[in-house]
Amino acid sequence: MVAIIEKRDLRDFDWPTALLALTISAFGVWQIHNALPTESYWSKQILGIGIALVAFLVVAFNDYRRIIDAAPVFYIAGLVMLFLVLTPLGVQVNGQKAWLKLPVVGQFQPSEFVKIPTVLMLAKYFGARKAKSLSLREMLIGGAIFAGPVSLIILEPDAGQAITYFPILAAMFFLSGIKVRYVVLAVVAAAIFIPAAWHFGVKSGAIKRYQQERILAITDPDSVDPRGYGYHTIQSTITVGKGGLTGIKGETETSQSVLKFLPEPHTDFIFAVTAENTGFIGCVSLLLAYALLLSRMIAGAREASDRAGMLVIMAIVCGMVFQIFMNVGMALGVLPVIGVPLPLMSAGLSAILSTFVAIGFVISVKLRRFVN
Amino acid sequence: MKIGDQIQNLGMRVGAIQVIAFVLLAVLGARLYYLQIVRGEYFSERAENQRVRLIPIPAPRGAIFDRNGKLLVDSRPTYNVVLSNEPLKSINVIDRVDDYSHGLNLDRQFVVERLNLIKKQNDFETMVLKENVAMQDIAWVESHSLEFPELRVELQPQRFYPLGTTLAHVLGYVGEISPKQLEEETFKSRGFRPGDIIGKGGLEQYYDEFLRGKPGYRKVLVDSRGRVQTELEVVAPQSGQDLVTTIDLDLQLEAEHQLATSVTKRGTVIAMDPNNGEMLAMASAPSFDPNIFVRGSSSPDGRRQIAAYWQDEKRPLYNRAIQGRYPPGSTWKIPESAAALQQGAITVVHSNLACGGGIKVGSKFTRCMGSHGSPALPYAITKSCDGYYYRLGLKMGVEGLIKMIETFGFDRRSGIDLPNEKVPQTPKSWMPYILKNEGKWSDIRTVYASIGQDTVVVTPISMLRAVASVGMRGKEFIPHFLKQFKPVSAVGQEGDINYIPARAGFAYQHPEPKLIELAPDQWDLVIKGMWGVVNGGGTAGSIKMADLEIAGKTGTAQVAEVGKDVGANKDHSWFVSFAPAYKPEISVIALIENSGFGASNAGPAARGVYQAYLQKHPRASEERVAK
Repeated sequence: MVAIIEKRDLRDFDWPTALLALTISAFGVWQIHNALPTESYWSKQILGIGIALVAFLVVAFNDYRRIIDAAPVFYIAGLVMLFLVLTPLGVQVNGQKAWLKLPVVGQFQPSEFVKIPTVLMLAKYFGARKAKSLSLREMLIGGAIFAGPVSLIILEPDAGQAITYFPILAAMFFLSGIKVRYVVLAVVAAAIFIPAAWHFGVKSGAIKRYQQERILAITDPDSVDPRGYGYHTIQSTITVGKGGLTGIKGETETSQSVLKFLPEPHTDFIFAVTAENTGFIGCVSLLLAYALLLSRMIAGAREASDRAGMLVIMAIVCGMVFQIFMNVGMALGVLPVIGVPLPLMSAGLSAILSTFVAIGFVISVKLRRFVN
Repeated sequence: MKIGDQIQNLGMRVGAIQVIAFVLLAVLGARLYYLQIVRGEYFSERAENQRVRLIPIPAPRGAIFDRNGKLLVDSRPTYNVVLSNEPLKSINVIDRVDDYSHGLNLDRQFVVERLNLIKKQNDFETMVLKENVAMQDIAWVESHSLEFPELRVELQPQRFYPLGTTLAHVLGYVGEISPKQLEEETFKSRGFRPGDIIGKGGLEQYYDEFLRGKPGYRKVLVDSRGRVQTELEVVAPQSGQDLVTTIDLDLQLEAEHQLATSVTKRGTVIAMDPNNGEMLAMASAPSFDPNIFVRGSSSPDGRRQIAAYWQDEKRPLYNRAIQGRYPPGSTWKIPESAAALQQGAITVVHSNLACGGGIKVGSKFTRCMGSHGSPALPYAITKSCDGYYYRLGLKMGVEGLIKMIETFGFDRRSGIDLPNEKVPQTPKSWMPYILKNEGKWSDIRTVYASIGQDTVVVTPISMLRAVASVGMRGKEFIPHFLKQFKPVSAVGQEGDINYIPARAGFAYQHPEPKLIELAPDQWDLVIKGMWGVVNGGGTAGSIKMADLEIAGKTGTAQVAEVGKDVGANKDHSWFVSFAPAYKPEISVIALIENSGFGASNAGPAARGVYQAYLQKHPRASEERVAK
């Protein structure tokens, strides 16, 4: 897949989207530096962004339709990687076997990348179908495509990563004409089933104490051990609140992350670091930047020349919205602590790479919005 | 929308996703507004509270001196190796046992104990791992600070009692405030916290608020593991006030020497200046070493020694001078004689009463140790005629004895500036019980009470105060150890929040002495009898001194019935006195437990103290001998 960059490509290239993504990730580098100024995560992140940009351009200037055609190859390769994680080749970090160490390539997190082949595979399947309401058979096949990678990720076990896949499927179903009454039914079922599952799960002991505490830390922070699972939520809330309107203005030596009160400040809690350092103004600017980026991506979806392209963009949009909401909600103490990276901000090569590749697809779709 | 315009409201569906995305972002924005704008200050404060810590700098406690400026108690700096529990949380403590026990030369079992204990403590608490460490231990800890961040060397002023067991009961000791004390309102209201060192027993307890200084603190920045990052501010402590006591260390040492060389090595010797109540010596034997309480409670060895003190049958922790209650025996006759004259039971002209070799009350004959005819009061005192006092007691009646008890203050504490003083038990306090159980107060009880037995047990300090007031012809002073507290200067700048104002020095405020009203010739009569005890062929003639005329009274207090037991329950030997007889400078009383006859045991003990006094205050003998 050699990219043949034509003049027209450069003209039609969605510069604002690319620059917006790059700006957010640069802002992220600054926050990673704020989080741990004495460590090298921020410089590694710059390197990551550099690699990601190359991948981004390669994807953006290739015709997404050709890539979607080849989706099954990527999909199978993804499943193989996820399977390899479970073998002795996988590397265990913090009790989770989510990493794969390969010669030359180094260590990476396949569950981050496999999102893309999953999106492509689903887009290929749902993009080819006719314009009518979604049938049960189609839903089952879509579900099966989805279940492959997700079940392997759950086996790692990495529930946090697995959850980020669900919006992809939801987007596919919703945009493939699932009947509105099914959507309503699903919402109602969730409203009943989730509290019921919680109730019985707690009673039967299926939901373990530490899992309960993560939830209770949100609903009733005083009831949990402030040094245990509630600790993350409490410290993150303090960190965010401390930022006030304009942030701590460079007093990093007394910051929550430097004094190690805030755990995982460069990855899961990067938003809390942002809040502490740049205050309400910085945080709202960041959220607006995300809103703008998402708007441009959605606009691209509306202009897509085919159904598959539209599905690819919207699945990526839904995945990103979901991750932003999960991550920031966790930092703000309204959602339980689940290790979901903040797109473009959290330190981590795999995450930054896969996000830029995803945005590459969005731009590729937009580039080919004019039907030849 | 280029594609699917015809199907499934695709545009609306994409729009719905966009709306949901914006709503979710707006929810986050609202939450941010609440956390950062509405509650920003609250969280700033919480963040500040968890990263700024005040580490107290203990204040040196005031020293204690004797009346001549000799050092009795001091504080000296010691270094302790302490364990903080925060860094230990993530460590398997068993890994550390060998490192600690080798590096600090500690018993393995002890290290295990300590580690298990600290694991149970609250966050940010510390525990002493090794006290009073040497330079090499400090060096070891410093050189392993990266390996063992949980270890720290702390400076701690430690109370030190250079004289060991000497004066232990008077001085008391210091220790950590107990959990029980922390619950008490008196301590709570003054802001005491766990780990605070307070006085326990003796002057350390009685004058704690003056001896105790005001701690300073270091304001430091800590990380989430409680490790100090930087120091923000240091506020110096203000040391406590130095206490100058009325004690004369030489007399004290002599008093203790007398007890140590006595037959049973148990008892008390106390000396006071009868002219103002200043306590010159207070010895109680056996004694204890307060240093063991200061150092010991955190080591197994120390705990064992402390337990041994508590379990010792000889009760070394108990201050016999103010907590012991003994039948006064014949020493009781001195206040009794003065009271009899005051009440008119006898007069200066007609003070004779029959001895009769004893007295028959009902069918029971209670005998006198001699046959003294019909002596006058001075002779009865000099010879300690029991027969005389049986009749005097009956003449005064139990009401007269109770009046005497009130006059000489045997129904209350002496008011000495030491904690835990006991009140004597007398016919006054027994009366309600006896009346309840026996229906009436029988004459035999009056007879026994007249010679200080049966219903009478007194503290040596109450006896000293009464006898000294006889020597002073009715002027009764409150015994006390405080001579003065020295001033301490202010710390910091006035107006500053950390300013600690100066503490003024002050001397003991002497209340007006209580007056016991007797005519001068009445006092003469009693004192003449007491002079005779030592100088006129009386019961303590053996301790007569050439240069100092002692007025005294022996006492042999029955513990068991006469002749029943002469072993462990032998009589207590008493000697109460003042000297010179007619212009007293010092009043000494001695009590040797279970040693037998008063003159042969307690008398010589008192004499030793007088001799030491004489050496320090030599004067022409005429001044101290009766004209």
